[in-house]
Amino acid sequence: MAGYTIRRVLWIIPVMFAIASITFALMHFVPGGPWDREKKLPASVVETLNQRYGLDDPLWEQYWNFLTDAVRGDLGVSYTFQDRPVTNIIREGIPKTAILGGIAFLIVIGVGVPLGVVAAIRRNSVTDYTSMVLTTLLASIPGFVLGIFLMILFSLQWHLLPTGGWGSPSHVVMPALALAALPTALIARVTRASVLEVLDQDYVRTARAKGLSSLVIHYRHVLKNASIPILTSLGPELAALITGSFIVESLFSIPGIGRLFVEGVFQRDYGLIMGMVLFYALVIAVVNLFVDLLYMLADPRIRYAASR
Amino acid sequence: MLVRTITTLFSILLILVLIAACGDDEDTPVSATATSIPATATAPALATPTPVAIQELRANLGGEPSTLDPQLATGLHEFSVIRQVFQGLLGFNADLSLKPVVALEVPTVENGGISDDGLVYTFKLREDATWSDGQSVTADDFVFAIKRLLDPQLGAPNSFLYFGIAGAMEYTTSGEVDDAALEALRDAVGVEAMDNTTLKVTLSEPGPTFLQLMALTYVYPVRQDIIETAGTQWTEAGTYIGNGPYIMTEWAHQDHITLELNSDYWGPMPNLTKITYRMITDPNSELAAYRNDELDLSQVPPGIEESITGDATLGAEVVRSLQLFTFGVFFNTTAAPFDEVTVRKAFAMAIDRDSWVDKIKNGVGLAATSWLPPGMPGYDPAVGSENAFDPSAAQALLSSAGFPGGEGFPDVSYAFVDAGEGSLIAEFLQGQFRDNLGIEVSLEPLDPPSYFQKVIGGRDFQLTGIGWGADYPDPESFLAPLFMTGSPQNIAGYSNPEFDGSAGPAFAELDQAMRIDLWQRAHEVLMGDVPVAPFFHNERFFLLKPQVQGLTLTPIDGAIPGDTMLGEVSISP
Repeated sequence: MAGYTIRRVLWIIPVMFAIASITFALMHFVPGGPWDREKKLPASVVETLNQRYGLDDPLWEQYWNFLTDAVRGDLGVSYTFQDRPVTNIIREGIPKTAILGGIAFLIVIGVGVPLGVVAAIRRNSVTDYTSMVLTTLLASIPGFVLGIFLMILFSLQWHLLPTGGWGSPSHVVMPALALAALPTALIARVTRASVLEVLDQDYVRTARAKGLSSLVIHYRHVLKNASIPILTSLGPELAALITGSFIVESLFSIPGIGRLFVEGVFQRDYGLIMGMVLFYALVIAVVNLFVDLLYMLADPRIRYAASR
Repeated sequence: MLVRTITTLFSILLILVLIAACGDDEDTPVSATATSIPATATAPALATPTPVAIQELRANLGGEPSTLDPQLATGLHEFSVIRQVFQGLLGFNADLSLKPVVALEVPTVENGGISDDGLVYTFKLREDATWSDGQSVTADDFVFAIKRLLDPQLGAPNSFLYFGIAGAMEYTTSGEVDDAALEALRDAVGVEAMDNTTLKVTLSEPGPTFLQLMALTYVYPVRQDIIETAGTQWTEAGTYIGNGPYIMTEWAHQDHITLELNSDYWGPMPNLTKITYRMITDPNSELAAYRNDELDLSQVPPGIEESITGDATLGAEVVRSLQLFTFGVFFNTTAAPFDEVTVRKAFAMAIDRDSWVDKIKNGVGLAATSWLPPGMPGYDPAVGSENAFDPSAAQALLSSAGFPGGEGFPDVSYAFVDAGEGSLIAEFLQGQFRDNLGIEVSLEPLDPPSYFQKVIGGRDFQLTGIGWGADYPDPESFLAPLFMTGSPQNIAGYSNPEFDGSAGPAFAELDQAMRIDLWQRAHEVLMGDVPVAPFFHNERFFLLKPQVQGLTLTPIDGAIPGDTMLGEVSISP
């Protein structure tokens, strides 16, 4: 397992390199640059700016400079936010997006998994139908519509929560719910399906015949064996939640990285775009690795060959 | 595209909710729309030294400032902050006349502030003006700021506005020179401190709008010692030392900025003790925050004005004011088919501007046939009125240009920024040209940087829509950059020696009446040539909580209505 882990960690390096190269190329092919403004900048100003940010160097040199700096952990400076280092900007935004995503993830696990298990165990009961109608509904309402709905109820009708911003737990409630809705519904459905499949297995029938309590059966035999598909779905959801959502962050004015990234693209802030893409790639790679390792814990039959 | 669809859906949903909310109050319809600001409270100009209670104004900047550096900032939301933390030599009154701020008086020839040849300006500074850390504001601070603005290494976008200063252009555009040569060019710039409180500025030619330029944020003083130690990050709270009535105590990036009263401020003490600027990017969220009493001011998202004025509570909180702003349809005059003035005229006369304002905008804004907006010196509603909506005349012109009923007209497209109201305007114009000329104009939505590169930078377009606001309240700011031959901002590629013949002398004319007259002549020539078909003048349409008293609006406000002068604003309990 140690060998496998090391190999996977090392694989992250070429993956990041490929992503950095593709992003760099795409960014420079898209029309419009960071200095194309509403009022045309004088040529001398553009020249100065290109010089300062090294944009007058040949592309390969810019690329090389970026890579060598990135390896040292320096992602460069933002062009739109007066030379603020991209690492600082990301570092300031991450905690907010991550807290929000983390809480949403807890909702996903805490509500989605039990909901799916209960629905499966009480298959074709009123509980099952109710939970499936609810999850279908949650899965089909876009996050921002749900967000507006929550805002209207909690802020405009009852005046219980602020409409947006950051700084207190009350700021987190609505965006976390809006973020969690869709993944909760998906996880509930995945859980229901995989639990149903396990419930029909012979070993569950055997366990029942042995006279084990249903709690033990469900916890030890069913849920554990049903967990692989759930883990597979949870991994990407976690990555998506902690990297933030432009729509939810804009709606609730969250100073996180989800909003920042999209704005960076709109402004052709090359520094910010490269930094954010690399960061996202790293998060997704690490979360995937983590999920793969969890498989082994969930199912001892899964062994990753160290070499083949 | 996705974002736009989402925004549209969002607006529709919010409209429905607002209408539903209004439904409850239908028994008491309120038709009145506040067109004026609540009367200024009798607030004393000089408040008592101990502020009685916290008076906080909460407004939305609409986004994170790119920079708060006075020399670099060009965004309206950036001005909203800078104007509270810094003070310039001069400032604007509500009627856009100049007032002295750090200067003791506005220089004139009579008071000896301007030399007889109009080339040398002498500013006497107040001796009591201080920075928020207690140091005195000196003439050297202004010299540093102006030379910093012009520094080729800084790359300030608006340095070119000050090229009238002797040696300025040579310094800013010096290109590749060695340090000693650069130093010499810097020293040659005509700005010097005669003593601690006397600043002398020498121009290369008389500049009738020079004093207005000296009231803009670009030449607000900054502290050399701070910038040299803190570097580009000096604009963070803590090192952002200003000479204005407020101190920035917090800049929570992407979230909010807090300004608190500078208790040692040397000028007239404002009433507000605290200003909180939020950074809500979604206009619908801004309105929700206002309705939840988190904001004292909010813009109204376009399209829902009617449901707001119809609301019993919100309707009474509406404030409207016309801005010095014109939106127009620009023609690429350098290429067929819009190199023909007849064709341009036909298109200009095919736009039913009243229908836009009345039916689409619910009466917000003003139909425009003049490029100069109302309130601008030299504005004359008659100029350009010959190009008002007249479909039959438009069709006749089109026929005479060889395209009867639009037949045989080449394929043309309208390029626009796909954000805000951009697509609404585009679709309206497309309908107008189709219905009134029989011409199908294709639409070309672009994201901002692509648009700026293609249309503004590359003049690769046939038709486009551009809104123009004044850098400073003078016709020069509206006419010269856009329409003088060879100007970098000349989007339409317009060139007429007659226009240049009026505009050129106007730049140096010191007699105000004659100068305005010259600009008026240039404007008449322009409207006869129609490189732009004026479409509408913008109107601010926003909500203001009734407890906010004494807000004075000016046509040159930043992102927050009234932010040019917040000194008289107070919050009634």
